[in-house]
Amino acid sequence: MTFQMNRRRFMQTTSSAIAAGALPTVSGRALAASSNELRVSVYGGQIGDAIVETLLKPFEAETGIKMIPITQDFTLAQLELMVKAKNVTVDVAGMEQTLTLTAKEKGLLEEIDYSLYKKEELDGFLDFAKDKYGAGQLIYSFNMIYNTKKYPAGKPRPANWAEFWDVEKFPGVRYLVAGLYGTEGPWEEALMADGVAPDKIYPMDIDRIFASLDKIKPHIRKWWSSGSEIQQLMQSGGGDVMESYDGRALAAIDAGAPLEINRNQAKMTWAHWVIPKGCPNSENAQKFIEFATRGDRQATFVKLYPEGPTNRNAFKHIPADLARKLPTYPEYMANSIPLNGGWYVEVGSDGRTNVERLIQRWNQWILQ
Amino acid sequence: MQTLQKQRLTGIGLALPVLIVLVVVFGIPLVQLFLTSLNAPMFSVSNYLRFLQDPANVRVVLQTVQISVIATAACLIVGYPTAYLIVAAPKRLRIVLIVLVMIPYLTSGLARTYAWIMILGDSGLINNLLLQFGIISSPLLLIYNRMALYVGMVHIMLPMMVLSLVSVMLGIDKSLMAAARSMGAPPFTAFCRVFFPLSIPGVRSATLLVFVICLGFYIIPASLGGLGDVMLSNFLASQVTTTFDLVSVATGSFVLLAIAIVVLSILGLDLSGTQGLAAQVPRRSRFARPSLIGWLTRSLTEFSTGFRAKRWTAHRYRPRGEGWLPEIGGKVLVLLVLTYLLAPSVVVIVMSFSSGSYIEFPPSGLSLRWYRSFFGNTAWYGAAWTSMEIGLAVALLSTIVGTLAAYGLSRTSPRLRSTLNVVILTPITIPVIVVGVACYFGLANLGLIGSRTGVILAQSIGAISYVVVIVSATLANFDRRLEQAAQSMRAGPLQTFARVTLPLIRPGIIGGAFLAFIHSFDEVVITSLVSGFSVTTLPLKMWENIRNAIDPTLAAVASLLTVLPMLWLIGMCVVWQRSESKAQFPIPSAAN
Repeated sequence: MTFQMNRRRFMQTTSSAIAAGALPTVSGRALAASSNELRVSVYGGQIGDAIVETLLKPFEAETGIKMIPITQDFTLAQLELMVKAKNVTVDVAGMEQTLTLTAKEKGLLEEIDYSLYKKEELDGFLDFAKDKYGAGQLIYSFNMIYNTKKYPAGKPRPANWAEFWDVEKFPGVRYLVAGLYGTEGPWEEALMADGVAPDKIYPMDIDRIFASLDKIKPHIRKWWSSGSEIQQLMQSGGGDVMESYDGRALAAIDAGAPLEINRNQAKMTWAHWVIPKGCPNSENAQKFIEFATRGDRQATFVKLYPEGPTNRNAFKHIPADLARKLPTYPEYMANSIPLNGGWYVEVGSDGRTNVERLIQRWNQWILQ
Repeated sequence: MQTLQKQRLTGIGLALPVLIVLVVVFGIPLVQLFLTSLNAPMFSVSNYLRFLQDPANVRVVLQTVQISVIATAACLIVGYPTAYLIVAAPKRLRIVLIVLVMIPYLTSGLARTYAWIMILGDSGLINNLLLQFGIISSPLLLIYNRMALYVGMVHIMLPMMVLSLVSVMLGIDKSLMAAARSMGAPPFTAFCRVFFPLSIPGVRSATLLVFVICLGFYIIPASLGGLGDVMLSNFLASQVTTTFDLVSVATGSFVLLAIAIVVLSILGLDLSGTQGLAAQVPRRSRFARPSLIGWLTRSLTEFSTGFRAKRWTAHRYRPRGEGWLPEIGGKVLVLLVLTYLLAPSVVVIVMSFSSGSYIEFPPSGLSLRWYRSFFGNTAWYGAAWTSMEIGLAVALLSTIVGTLAAYGLSRTSPRLRSTLNVVILTPITIPVIVVGVACYFGLANLGLIGSRTGVILAQSIGAISYVVVIVSATLANFDRRLEQAAQSMRAGPLQTFARVTLPLIRPGIIGGAFLAFIHSFDEVVITSLVSGFSVTTLPLKMWENIRNAIDPTLAAVASLLTVLPMLWLIGMCVVWQRSESKAQFPIPSAAN
């Protein structure tokens, strides 16, 4: 069984061997060698527009560095391919915390140079936002959402995940996040529904998760797997009680959908700004991330797109009514659980991470 | 003997450009991936054992095959009669029908998936109508189940089935049917004994193509199917997204490739099977590769012989005595098929005029704002222009090298042909994500990541497969003796090809070029990897839009893609009609 122990390392060496074998001649990227421009992955859609307006444009105005937004999906696969092929065509990207940790484990990221930051700003950073390989970008959450036509305020409605699981008392069409990617899934919700106290969730008991999911499985109309999918579902009005990202729910509410967010037992997670290893413009990339994480900058971004700032200084510039919409509002934070990315990337005795285990269990479970 | 050998060598020579492109862009890294999955240099099958030890993997493999078989069968059952009726229609109607079958192709696959959600959803078109008329009191569960998955998959694959069959059936000599009927065969017998056997090679290659592509589906199962309605590519895609564990992704992909190879060998790998009558005799005696379809037809034929003999005296040849039932039935069938194929495109076009800020059907108000959003944004129309250029380049490149290869392969020995066919079909057999990763390494080797040339080469890999399959199918019905006749009249090989072969296989080439263009115009996964975030094609832009926003710009783009080519085609038809009415005698056409 020595093989099993070494599988992970073996995989890493072989996959880099493939990349190296395929690349005897090329070094450095042909199209974007070190230059006075910066290619930043900004997601897309409304959030992409907000990042361009509030971060990229002002930085370009301040420094004269030409900022090029990239709105295509930036996945772990793409990051790994470009780093291994030494052909890094993205200088800065936003990445969800579990993916940041995975990328860090695989050695795909540059260290963040915190010596560039003002002490005052650094003191404002929430703890997780000061990762060695990623500076906090934004905070978002998974929430329970009510259709107010079915569950209006003032009438009894499911207040927590245990009640969401109670289909007799609270009938209706339910949507829940799918777990196919392992990193995001209804895991914490399933444990809370099964009676685990919110502060005792980690380390998670995978068997218990799936035993709890068994109970709700026949009652979920759709297990959604992307933000646009759940937004579409919420706006079509077919669902009665569902799980969604807070940002997508707010967007649907802004578009007139009769929805309300339940902040109780919300699952909070965050994204980091990261720099791919071997980035030819890392100096400018470091400068940009420092700029983008300043409190006042985050505040202007939050005004265009309501996600939580990772720098507490931002709240000095955010009006109270807007602050109430954010997952970081103190009252909400007190009832939320922070997602523990560290548990997800933990490697067990069989050489596999918890993410890999969750994916495998999920795949078996959906086919049962 | 010497000439035969020479012919085979030329055959390989003609296939050479395809092989070079395949090997350089895709083959070498793919072999490296394969070696990795075998733990080279230690060589063991432990990765495969581990893959098969996971019950979920075994189940999903079986389910993938099952779903693909059913979807392919449905395409064949609906597609064959449709194709037959299209071919039998008068020329002008036939062209209109072919265009109508092509339309769903033009409406981006992504947009069509959205349209199905709008049609089948809990508050979608069908449920809304039924609720409104009081037929039901709560929405029917039409979506997120296996049936919806089939509806979506067959919708994507049916045009491909019909078009490949049409291109083959057009090559079947109609006078053979007339001859059979003049000898007293009733229409159905003439069809069974003459037309159907001649169409078998085409059926085989079209079925193969559809099945193999079905194996790799993953967007449709994820968006229309239920929780358990997943296919192997769904598993692989989630691995790529979260852990990017190259070894297990590669292992899964080669399992899928193995399934495809098994199926290819059961159906008979020989895409350009029966060539002329002379070639058929020795093939019969070869029992090495029994073909399931061949066996079925033979047994059916033998079974019905006695029955037919009795009927022969009763039903002498009566021209035009087909009866009204089959005719009406045929019309109804074509109408139903077209409704099914076109409904999503219509829904998309209607949605595009919505005034609301999200995709909804029926729209709450009408406006042109999403068209303005398209034309007012360089990112959108720039991407459209890039896609157009890349698509034309891909179609040109793959049609030329693909046709040469298909022609070359048809002259090589059946065994070599089978092997090379597998090689050429690999890019559309294995999951597209693996093709993407392999192409990435291949193009990085050439320093072409992030360049248009790179994107064109990567997309051509798959496009060539389509061209080879369709042209090979057409070549199967091509009578080699016509070439010999031309050469006996002292025509050179080039002249023979240009004056005899090319005109006769033209429907296949046009069909192949069309599929190649569409393949490029709808490709997301490979392009997103090899574009290096520097080349933005329209599908990439649409994918980005679908992932992030839900505004109807997407519907507007898809509508433009549907309507503009139609306007162009109508224009062409008008011009064509005018020039035709001026002509004194009918222009000789290969299609007839």
